[in-house]
Amino acid sequence: MTAPAARRGASPRPSAPSRTRYTLMQLGLLALIVIAVTVANARWERLAEIPAQSLVYGELMLRGVLQNPFSEPYATYWSDALRLMFESLQIAWIGTVIGALLSFPLAFLAASTVAPRWIVFPTRQCLNIVRAIPELVFAIAIMLPIFGLGPLAGALAIGVGSIGTLGKLTSEAIESVPPGPSEALRAAGASTLQRLRFAVTPQILPEVIAFWLYRFEINIRASAILGILGAGGVGSLLAQVFERRDWERVGITLAVIIIVTIIVDQISGAVRHRVIEGAPTSKRTALV
Amino acid sequence: MTATAKSASAPPSARPRKPRTGPGAYLAALAVIAITVWAAVGIEFDLSPLWTDLGRGWFIIQEFLQPNWAFIARTVGPWTETLSIALIATTVGCTIGLGMALLASRVTTANPVLYRAAKLFLSVVRSLPDVGYGLLFFALVGAGSLAGILALIMFNIGIIAKLTSETIDAVDRGPLEAADAAGAHALQRARYVVTPSILPNYLSYCLYVLELNIRASVVIGIVGGGGIGATLSVEFARFNYSNVSAIVVLLFVVVFSIDLVSQSIRRRLA
Repeated sequence: MTAPAARRGASPRPSAPSRTRYTLMQLGLLALIVIAVTVANARWERLAEIPAQSLVYGELMLRGVLQNPFSEPYATYWSDALRLMFESLQIAWIGTVIGALLSFPLAFLAASTVAPRWIVFPTRQCLNIVRAIPELVFAIAIMLPIFGLGPLAGALAIGVGSIGTLGKLTSEAIESVPPGPSEALRAAGASTLQRLRFAVTPQILPEVIAFWLYRFEINIRASAILGILGAGGVGSLLAQVFERRDWERVGITLAVIIIVTIIVDQISGAVRHRVIEGAPTSKRTALV
Repeated sequence: MTATAKSASAPPSARPRKPRTGPGAYLAALAVIAITVWAAVGIEFDLSPLWTDLGRGWFIIQEFLQPNWAFIARTVGPWTETLSIALIATTVGCTIGLGMALLASRVTTANPVLYRAAKLFLSVVRSLPDVGYGLLFFALVGAGSLAGILALIMFNIGIIAKLTSETIDAVDRGPLEAADAAGAHALQRARYVVTPSILPNYLSYCLYVLELNIRASVVIGIVGGGGIGATLSVEFARFNYSNVSAIVVLLFVVVFSIDLVSQSIRRRLA
């Protein structure tokens, strides 16, 4: 008993913990990266050309953006890009609605606090499988052959692709809900469905709505990806103008994508904060 | 005041009045319905092809159900390319992203101009989808894995910086104050207080980005970023659906196994 106290009195500096394992792991990672750099088949020498080239193309793009947007043909460029960007937003929205509607009931089946284990396990595995497949594959494999090239195929692919993540996040929210309200309802004689409707759903809804909005923000970007395959939206236009090396139009299209995405992100972010944190406190005190 | 008086006068066992739904909720529901209708009309939403045109898609789906396993042997080269693209991009993107995250948090960046500028830069970077960067770098450096690597780096900087800067914002203030009291300057605070406390979260974000990159590098390959995506788009253009499906099955296996590995690492980090 006295020995440690005496040692503490002398206050020697504790020896540093061994770092051998970390060093070994770092060396291993470094080796992996070196291998990757050599087998990646990248023409690294072209890196040197980027600064000069990006200046040239950047200037061309900027010139397109800075032209008077009300003079032809720039007015058409801007309105075309805007129209297709709105189509991308529509694809993303419908995709999110489909994903939300389908994932909500599935999430209850995947929550271990709600469903029996023989239902939870297969549902979770289905959600995992959906999560692992990129939207693009849904689009190529299932939607394009049946629905043809167009925004509808894109929206459906995004919708199915959203089920995996949304279902997982929602079921985790259901599992982490405090059991109090549900137990109270049970004591009052409520059925399972009534408990889910009046105890669980109200508790998870703000969080789940925030997930939906967050997924909408992701889906806006995903719908641009599908556009490149021909599934409508601004992605198709972007791929076209890049292919023609029409740099002024590239600049205008990129500007539209950046500006609209940032505005929608801001709105969606504000709504998310409002949903999670509730009404502003000043308003609440006014009501009381 | 009136509300409390009313509840006092009512018999004790009376059912409490249901709170009224405010006009805001109705307006929000109306707005959601309006946007949905606008979007559904805009993209001509119609599920009837599911019944009428299932036959048209059926032969393609049938080919999909018979993957050409022999083709997998020929995709080993592109697959190593994809994996190394993802790994290089994750390393570079996550390193730059950490620096940007330190700049984009109030905790580590006292200068308001610098902080605002970093935030604005990051929202611009994040607003372009990965394929947009793919097209851009394809135009700048030509087809090949270099374009894919550069595009993914930009894509990763946006994600990592956003997630990490939010973690930095929530960092425990105690050690920060201790460092301040001991006279640490901004760099020392970042190195000895912020970085160690966010490290587990940051590493798990890096693993998440690695998973994302495998998936994204397939897409970027389609627009000229090299790797398995290039192979996929060639087979797709030739209507070799059984080869496409072999690639897709393998993609699924790779993504799933990386998911499993990173989940077990993340569990140990937490």
